[in-house]
Amino acid sequence: MRKQLRKVLCTFLPGGNEMNGKKTISWYLFNGVKFREFPILLYILIMVLFFSFTTPGFWAVRNFENLSRQIAVVGIVSTGMTLVVLTGGIDLSVGSILAFSISIGGRGIPLGRPMWIIYPVILLLGTLLGFINGVLITRIAVPALIITLGTMNIFRGITMVITRGIYITPIPPEYTLIGRGYLPFFFLLIVILLFMFVTLRTRLGRNIYAIGGGEQASLYSGVPVVKYKVVVYTLSGFLSAFSGLILVGRSGFIQPQAGVGYEMNAIAAVVIGGTSIFGGSGSVLGTFFGATLMGLILTGLTMQAVDPYWQGLVTGILVVLAISLDSLRQIRGRGQLISKR
Amino acid sequence: MKNILTSQTKIIIALIVIDAVIMVFLTLLSPTFLTYGNIVSLLTRMSELGVLAVAVTLTFISGGFDLSIGAVMAFSGMIAGYSTLLGLPLFFSILFALLGGAVIGLANALLVVELRLQPFVVTLATMTMVRSIVYGFMRGKTITAFPDSLLSLGDKYVLGIPLLFIILVLCAILAFMLLKKTILGRYIFALGGNERTAFLSGVPVRTMKYFVYVLSGLLSALAGLLLVIRIRAAIPDAGLNAPLEVITAVVIGGTSIKGGKGSLLGSLLGVFAMFLLINGFSLLGLNPFWSVIILGTVLIVVVGQEGIMVPFIALLHRKVRS
Repeated sequence: MRKQLRKVLCTFLPGGNEMNGKKTISWYLFNGVKFREFPILLYILIMVLFFSFTTPGFWAVRNFENLSRQIAVVGIVSTGMTLVVLTGGIDLSVGSILAFSISIGGRGIPLGRPMWIIYPVILLLGTLLGFINGVLITRIAVPALIITLGTMNIFRGITMVITRGIYITPIPPEYTLIGRGYLPFFFLLIVILLFMFVTLRTRLGRNIYAIGGGEQASLYSGVPVVKYKVVVYTLSGFLSAFSGLILVGRSGFIQPQAGVGYEMNAIAAVVIGGTSIFGGSGSVLGTFFGATLMGLILTGLTMQAVDPYWQGLVTGILVVLAISLDSLRQIRGRGQLISKR
Repeated sequence: MKNILTSQTKIIIALIVIDAVIMVFLTLLSPTFLTYGNIVSLLTRMSELGVLAVAVTLTFISGGFDLSIGAVMAFSGMIAGYSTLLGLPLFFSILFALLGGAVIGLANALLVVELRLQPFVVTLATMTMVRSIVYGFMRGKTITAFPDSLLSLGDKYVLGIPLLFIILVLCAILAFMLLKKTILGRYIFALGGNERTAFLSGVPVRTMKYFVYVLSGLLSALAGLLLVIRIRAAIPDAGLNAPLEVITAVVIGGTSIKGGKGSLLGSLLGVFAMFLLINGFSLLGLNPFWSVIILGTVLIVVVGQEGIMVPFIALLHRKVRS
């Protein structure tokens, strides 16, 4: 019983997938450095030190509250994106799914519909759109990037046509409850812990890694690849809608342009967290660290009065650096002359 | 008998028929469609996306991918604008704008070739970076201080055809010659067909990849200049929808995203069909976002079939069977 418990608990530590319940805390102190997630922790530490010296007011409580809320929205989207990237796919439509579910689902708010109807409807819409993505990607033999480039525009277009670009602005106070204080961060932690458990300790998780490692191979070994891919994109849609709820709670209004560019932030958090863009290796915990690092850097830049227009440049550079490191690691591992492609 | 028409020719014939059908419909629905003014404005507006389509066709045939085209458009417009503001002569501002595009293409190529990254993700990142640079410098403002010698190009006509459209046609002809008449063209097709085989049979794979991405950046920068001439200003939002629009048009025209297969004529006809649709929507007074929805749907429907022809044939077969 104690062994079982320790096994489950080990899931939530770095490198948990290599655990068999025998490792102890002291083992971590000596070997934790070896894990993929460790360098990111170091970068986070460096960033915190850097900003605490250069930016006055960095240690203010308000700032951390703000930071935690910013990380929460991107982090939840990134968790779904991690699952997708682990299977070797990509989902560009996360921002559009977010906007679609909150704008279309939120149309009941001015009509006075109760919250216990609105919230499930929003989550259901996101799940449905994710499911559509998954079905299209598994039916049509085309890279997920092209399909989600299409659905990203379709969902955004439908949102704009139906709402005509109009905000839903007086929102009852009960909807902002979810965005207060450290509550968004609490939800992020729950989502992260849940999906760490799912990826490392369940059949679904094992198969996600298997599909990313080699889709053909896992198909031949009897993994229902189509089913799991649909599940993964559906989960990504659900999580996008969920982070939409938090975004609404944080901002206090619903705008149809919400979530533009989130796909880039999510991909950045995922690849910075050490998940390979080729699929098959990486972790949800890494994504959590990646999202934290991104949030730190972007908030720090804002506090240093850098124009928010430049955030895309920073995100892009971080993405290129992260995937370059990953690719270099693979090149060194294989030593091939030209890429596999 | 069956093999007289290749699949490529079939796609082009199908596209011509589709274009003609849309035109007939629009003529019936809107009295202003078949006026000289509307057709000319259609051709002028088509020019910049047409040039982009040429760039995307080349990259797709080589088995590459470039999402950064739209951002490069805005980037080159911005460079041209700032060089003009600095008082540089027109020749230099155009040169710098084109060079700027080529540099972005070179950066893409470096990352794709040297670090062996996926072109999808690399160009997604460069797109975000370049767009952010443009927003950061221009801060949502437009630059209108262009000399008349540049802007007047937009009002020039040769034999009643707008000059911008002629530039597009010239680009297309040059690219066509490159693909069909030179060894470089054969290399590009070989590279897209199978990279490993091409490498083993002596195709300079790395050089060709550099060539294609730099050319794509250069053509996108040219498209940015054409846009500046047409709307008489450099705007930070230039080419925001370009990746979707152009990739859809190119894919409709029978160019495979897997590489090794494609036609420039098909791409241009695809762009024309797309513009007819967009023009039709605005003439009928519909929400412009409808065209985004339809383009996205068309992209998903067509891309798996490599050309607009196959879904039609599949549809016919299904009808015959049931």
